[in-house]
Amino acid sequence: MRIVVGMKWVPGTQSVRIDPKTGTLIREGVPSIVNPHDLPAVELALRLRDKYGGEVIALSMSPPPAIKGLEYLIGMGVDRAILLTDRVYAGADTLATSYALANAIRKIDAEIGKVDLAVFGQETTDSSTAHIPAQTASWLNWPYVYYVRDAWLTEDGKLRVERILENAIEEWELDMPAIISIAMKSIKPRPVSLLNKIRFKTNPSTLITWTNSYMNLDVRCVGLKGSPTFVAKTVDVPEVPRKKIVYKPKDGEDAARWILKSLLSDEKASRALLKALRGSSGGEGS
Amino acid sequence: MSQKPQGDCGDICPEWGCRNKDEYRGVWVVGEVDENGLSEASLQMLTPARKVASKLGTKITGVLIGHNVKGLADQFMEYGADDVIVVDDERFKEYVPNVFGEAVVELVKKYKPEMIFIAGTMRGRELAPFIANHLRSGITADCTDFDVDEKTRDVFQIRPPFGAVLLAYIRTPNRRPQLATARPNVFPLPPRDPSRAGKGEIIEEKVEHVPVPKSRLVSRKVVPRTEAPIEKAEIVVGGGKGLGSAEGFKMLEELAKEIGAVVGGSRKAVDLGWIPHERQIGQTGKSIKSVIYMAVGISGAAQHMFGVREAEVVVAINNDPSAPILSQADYGVVADYREVIPNLIKLVREIKDRLAKGEPIDL
Repeated sequence: MRIVVGMKWVPGTQSVRIDPKTGTLIREGVPSIVNPHDLPAVELALRLRDKYGGEVIALSMSPPPAIKGLEYLIGMGVDRAILLTDRVYAGADTLATSYALANAIRKIDAEIGKVDLAVFGQETTDSSTAHIPAQTASWLNWPYVYYVRDAWLTEDGKLRVERILENAIEEWELDMPAIISIAMKSIKPRPVSLLNKIRFKTNPSTLITWTNSYMNLDVRCVGLKGSPTFVAKTVDVPEVPRKKIVYKPKDGEDAARWILKSLLSDEKASRALLKALRGSSGGEGS
Repeated sequence: MSQKPQGDCGDICPEWGCRNKDEYRGVWVVGEVDENGLSEASLQMLTPARKVASKLGTKITGVLIGHNVKGLADQFMEYGADDVIVVDDERFKEYVPNVFGEAVVELVKKYKPEMIFIAGTMRGRELAPFIANHLRSGITADCTDFDVDEKTRDVFQIRPPFGAVLLAYIRTPNRRPQLATARPNVFPLPPRDPSRAGKGEIIEEKVEHVPVPKSRLVSRKVVPRTEAPIEKAEIVVGGGKGLGSAEGFKMLEELAKEIGAVVGGSRKAVDLGWIPHERQIGQTGKSIKSVIYMAVGISGAAQHMFGVREAEVVVAINNDPSAPILSQADYGVVADYREVIPNLIKLVREIKDRLAKGEPIDL
């Protein structure tokens, strides 16, 4: 089977800055990483390939530095990688991003071979919308399901998955081609192997770049222009007024005593605390 | 102004088609139905829906799609829906994202609401972007507030992006409907008013185009939640990387048991595998609304503090005097939690004894 796995190149630190003029992310000077939640998706794709044969193609729409991330995935064992990159793709919201990704999947399907499955991470660490898998499914009209933690094929060639919701574990069967997104932290990704790195060094053509002159997408449908939403403005998160009393206790007992005294002298806190303490000691009750 | 006549989409992607904003009126809340009826998270969406509907001077329509769901319409109205559109059809007995999504899309094309709220439950997060995309419109996830630009009727969808030090006002100037999700328990359940039942109209609709599902639910095993949801706890104890090990959480659990608290953790503690993701407190986890929040070994990153904004009283225990949380708490203690927590447990037990005997508390 041919599996496409999505990858986003995200800022590695949590201290991210936003351009106040455009409202978009400032990437310059911020070291980036493969979105950690994409790694279980890569691992699941590799396991399916190892079991059933075929190939795994990593796909990322990102500025050129994301090549490093794609190299990392090749190191994990991905067969080839495609970087979708062009200035006209910049500033895309999730609709415009999924449009480009869906068209890249169509192009893979037409030029490399039939795509059976696209796998995405649950969400990204930088924007955590979880939009892309469903939006890509919408463009392609493929069945899809989220929060998958295991997948296998049935004898009649359908995809079975187990997924986990807040209060239920479900098994689904999907016709292929299909899209699944993988529950974060649900599968431990394999490390990069030296053998795969050497393989890539000797055959660097496994990583290719598709720009828009190759993709030939209408510039009105991609990037900032192709985005129905935009950041109109940003404001500082208002500060929550707090008492900010800091105490340096003599010892642990002094600290515990001070905390309880403070809570019992606060009207709301003492009411909640006393209620809890009476309740769990089976006291007078309400 | 952005009103463009039909057929002249100007600079708009040709695959989107034109939208005349003026044709779109009204606010929708899409109801989520499972074994237990209408989900509380979807009823909570009536809170921001009311705020937006009032500012727009329009009404709220609840949308129910499923099999044998008509009976839930009254509940929708009691919590704030003015009317309810009901699609009661055996083909919607099982939720399938593509099939439910296309049904909502068909209804939207007929009724043209300007704003749609969908609860950001796991199923809602799966369904909502499909609907938005099929409508070739924008969607904003995990909103924490909303406002309205009355002139253009654009809804500002407010969410903290990235580092949670800023709030982004996201706007959809040229497309309709606008769509947004919010995580469960970010907005309160509106007060229930039984007198509203039956007041509004129940519009029974049929969906013409129901696609043959290309996916199906094979089995579903309900796993009841064992612990109380952290978003609803009155007292929360949170642990961070400063606990040093998963063992530290056992100490917090012991304290929590004594004071009727629920234990949560920072993203770092979740990443280290010390506590499950369901109990992560912060921007990408849960927002708590407890009366007391006790942060133990938590440095106080902006993302974490965003999740405790609505806690009434914040206590911080940290042995690092320069930890940012100490200047963002009500009561901060510079001490090693290993010495503080056992003493807290001991003192709490003493207080409980005194309370049981009716003796005064003397600290």
